[in-house]
Parts: sequence; structure tokens; C-alpha cells
Amino acid sequence: MDESPRPPSPSRQSQSPPPPPPQSHTGSPTDFLKGVVGKRVVVRLTSGVDYRGVLSCLDGFMNIALEQTEEHVNGVITNRYGDTFVRGNNVLYISAAEPL
Amino acid sequence: MASQILPLELIDKCIGSKIWVIMKSEREFTGTLLGFDDYVNIVLEDVTEFETTAQGVKKTKLAQTLLNGSNIAMLIPGSDGPESS
Repeated sequence: MDESPRPPSPSRQSQSPPPPPPQSHTGSPTDFLKGVVGKRVVVRLTSGVDYRGVLSCLDGFMNIALEQTEEHVNGVITNRYGDTFVRGNNVLYISAAEPL
Repeated sequence: MASQILPLELIDKCIGSKIWVIMKSEREFTGTLLGFDDYVNIVLEDVTEFETTAQGVKKTKLAQTLLNGSNIAMLIPGSDGPESS
């Protein structure tokens, strides 16, 4: 059975309709995280402090390891760290800072 | 009776459209909903963050963003957010 979107021809009508395609959640949180590892990100904590750096790895708790980290408070760089570990409970969001 | 719909099914129907996310604190997000998971962590695209402070509302533009579900209070499907009313 081909998968082209054209409507089924009359000769195929006797067959049961094909099942709907599996819901392709290409935008799910897991997929987003897979795509963003190794890229520059902004991690904002619930306190409002931003950490900008290269996302090296993370887990299901949103615990995060960053490299080349800059700490931004109210838009001003307040610190630089080589490597940073952020505990996941503090994370408000992870945002891509370069095209994915 | 047969047409019961679950809350998360409603959100699933909103994938690809605009959504307004209100957090537990004085913070709101709008953007295009790309996906979510069982914890209602949410992936948005073309995001605007609205942060209400004593000085006023601070707006921040963001690209693709994963919002932590633990701080989300409410979702409003099909809305452009606080400035759309």
C-alpha cells in the first residue's frame, strides 16, 4: 500500500481504510531536548536568573550540565563559569539560542 | 456519554496553533504549541514571555523553548496572550 496522500481509487474501496498514521510528536519535549544538546541555550530559573551556554547533557528531571556558561541577572553578565550543573527543580525553561 | 474528552486531548488538538500559558507566578508565555508530555512540560515556538513586575510588563522574545510543567498554572488555547483582548 503506498502512502501517498491521494484518495483511494474505487478499486481499493473494498479494503478497510488504512489506519491513521501514528501520531508523530516531532515537537515533544523529548524530541526538543534531543535536538538541542550541543547547541547554545538559555536556561532561565524560576528566580529569573539566566544561564547562557552550550548544553552538554541533561536528564528527565531537567537537571542540566552547561559549558561556557554566562550568568545573566537583569540582562547583565554577572559571572562566567566553565562548567555548570543546574538542578532541575529550579529550571523555568530551556530555550534554543541558535537555530536548531 | 460516549464523547467524553480528556483535558490533555484538548491540548493535543491545539498542537500547531497558538496558545497562552499562565504560570503560577506573575509570568505568562505565548507561542505556537509544538508538543507536550504527560507532565505537561510544553514545547513552544516563536515565544513571547511576559513578566509582570512593579516596573511594568517586561517582554522577551524566544525561539523554540521547553517550558517546565511544574510551574504552569493554566493553558488558554487559540489565544495570542495578554495583549490580544
